[in-house]
Amino acid sequence: MNRLFFSLRNSLAVKVILSTVILSLGVVWVTGSALNSQLSSGIKKVNLDSALAEARSTIFTAEYRFLLAEGEPDSVVQKVVDDVISSATTLTSNENTREVVFARSPGNTREINYEIASNILDPSTISDSLSKQVRKNPDLIYQYTTMQYLQGIRVPGLAIGKKVQIPNAGQYEMYLVFSLVNQRATLDLVQSSLLIAGFVLVFLIALITWLVVRQVVKPVREAASIAAQFTEGDFRQRMQVHSQDEISTLGIAFNGMAESIEKQIARLENLSRVQQRFVSDVSHELRTPLTTLRMASEVINEAKDGFEPTVSRSAELLAAQLDRFERLLEDLLEISRFDAEVAVLEAVDFDIVLLAKRCAEDLSLVASQRKTVMYVKSSEPEIMVKADIRRVERILRNLLANAIDHAEEVQIDVQIEANEVDVAIGVRDYGVGLDETALIRVFDRFWRADPSRARTRGGTGLGLSIALEDARLHNGELEAWGRPGRGAHFVLTLPRKASESINARLIPLQPLDFKA
Amino acid sequence: MTLVMVVDDDQDLAEMLGIVLTGAGIDVDLVSRGDEVLDVFRNNPPDLVLLDVMLPGLDGIEVCKLIRAESMVPIIMLTAKGDTHDVVRGLEAGADDYMVKPFRHPSELIARIRTRLRRTNSDISGLLTIGDLAIDVQAHQVLRGTKQIQLTRLEFDLLVALAREPGRVFSRDALLSEVWGYRHSTDTRLVNVHVQRLRSKIEHDAEHPEIVITIRGVGYKAGVMGGS
Repeated sequence: MNRLFFSLRNSLAVKVILSTVILSLGVVWVTGSALNSQLSSGIKKVNLDSALAEARSTIFTAEYRFLLAEGEPDSVVQKVVDDVISSATTLTSNENTREVVFARSPGNTREINYEIASNILDPSTISDSLSKQVRKNPDLIYQYTTMQYLQGIRVPGLAIGKKVQIPNAGQYEMYLVFSLVNQRATLDLVQSSLLIAGFVLVFLIALITWLVVRQVVKPVREAASIAAQFTEGDFRQRMQVHSQDEISTLGIAFNGMAESIEKQIARLENLSRVQQRFVSDVSHELRTPLTTLRMASEVINEAKDGFEPTVSRSAELLAAQLDRFERLLEDLLEISRFDAEVAVLEAVDFDIVLLAKRCAEDLSLVASQRKTVMYVKSSEPEIMVKADIRRVERILRNLLANAIDHAEEVQIDVQIEANEVDVAIGVRDYGVGLDETALIRVFDRFWRADPSRARTRGGTGLGLSIALEDARLHNGELEAWGRPGRGAHFVLTLPRKASESINARLIPLQPLDFKA
Repeated sequence: MTLVMVVDDDQDLAEMLGIVLTGAGIDVDLVSRGDEVLDVFRNNPPDLVLLDVMLPGLDGIEVCKLIRAESMVPIIMLTAKGDTHDVVRGLEAGADDYMVKPFRHPSELIARIRTRLRRTNSDISGLLTIGDLAIDVQAHQVLRGTKQIQLTRLEFDLLVALAREPGRVFSRDALLSEVWGYRHSTDTRLVNVHVQRLRSKIEHDAEHPEIVITIRGVGYKAGVMGGS
């Protein structure tokens, strides 16, 4: 049942065939019924007419003979009655039986009684209503009835009756009862033929519909499957166009669309490739002169003690700005790799707790300059993960550096939680915090919450966006929470095996210590 | 005096490298084309080669292979790309170490050069054994029976580090600090590539190593040959 509903909802062919079958069933039913009633009434009429004619002649013959027997003795009359009955009764075959009934009209009180029915036919075959009408009318009266034999056999029949006068015996009713077995058989045959013809017709209609629908549905299905392959990125797929009908118009239109999409995509891909290539080339080309610059600056910087104070300070600034320039270059290169989707994950096994502690330690000097301190707490002493250690380290450094920038001389809490499949690290600071617009934009490139705010490490403004990309490359997630003046909370959730998916958020984004 | 051959097509960078290295007391031989390297190398064999990847004439990777074919001199690749592909290609071509331009500090470069040049393990005298190999540390020789096996200085150092403490399992980080002199580095590719190269020279079957054994998830240790 479910399968039927399923195919009803999903298959155009089944839908069309089903509705065609239902409709044609209705049509066949109506025409069949009309045909049936026409045919049966025709057959009945023919039979009735012939029966009436037969009855008329038989009864007239009987009346005539009775007339001739007028005045004859009862024995002769009896013989005439017997003759009439035997000649009127036919037993040619079972089907064409004709029986005769003589019934005494009520009120006939003569002594002699010729009441008789041929062949042990039950007189109740003649209904009272028929008798009444016969008595009232001088003409032939007919009525359809059921012939009842004394043995209990019942067959459909037609009773035709008329008043007759039998000499010395008064008024009788003479009935001829025709068996309609033959007619019934004919009618049954007509009916069953019509029924069979109807079913065959419906079946043929269904078959034809199926063939026709298939012609239409097949290319539609083909188009759907090609469109699906197209969706999955196989842009070379095309529909085959054989003829010049509407379906092939669909095919041609589809192919045109496919062609145009393919071209567009190729154009965009090329454009983005050219752009990525350019960014990457620029970054690479900048590296060689930057290396020279750095070394030169280092040489100058080492000798700065012999310079005038202004020159010496200039050397320092030069070195510091080169550092910053280099970081910017690295970040830009990394971003261009993410944009070009060529960033590669190099997963190794390592202890993420140890890594977090090391990052905190490396940044502790910067933290103390900003009068803050980092506490790293882990639910377990060691949490082994398989991830790209360089990227995870970069995420952690970015989060910690960001927290130090905004800590406002309050401590920073780093919490690490893990279960069998996921690991989460929350970095919580209690400083300036983030408002709602900031939360939306905090991972945007080059976005700064407060342009006037100094950055500790001369940050590039790309740190958090790179961190987010790094997290996503692991199939992990990096989320931010914050309230103005109540600090911020960054939660990194990673699968313990890189590229598997994360199942749960082990650290709630809204920190537990926060009460609104 | 130590002689370092600097191969770089960027004149200014090469000159700057010259200044920095000379300042550190190292003689410098500057070469700017890849196809000139081998001639200079044969005429005046250096103690170490600083080799840029992108070179006119002949690609740095190819140059590295050519040098390696005839000498065990330490080679440090200078690569403008931090991309994995180039680094691994360089290491597989026989480079001992690599530095990504721009260097964090020129002093880092000098430190790396000195690490590659220092006479390591000079405190050990006599023979070490690992598997069915005998190592003469002073003579810088590795022998299987009477047959000598040619190893680069770095491969030799790696083998000696493992052989010195036969029971110890070395993590990749430990080997990086011990052999390459990194304080802490996260680039374990260096170790992986060189262990593979070392194995291809000393193992009977590099697919089933018996001398340098991998301890999954931890690192490497010296193998004990059955029966020896």
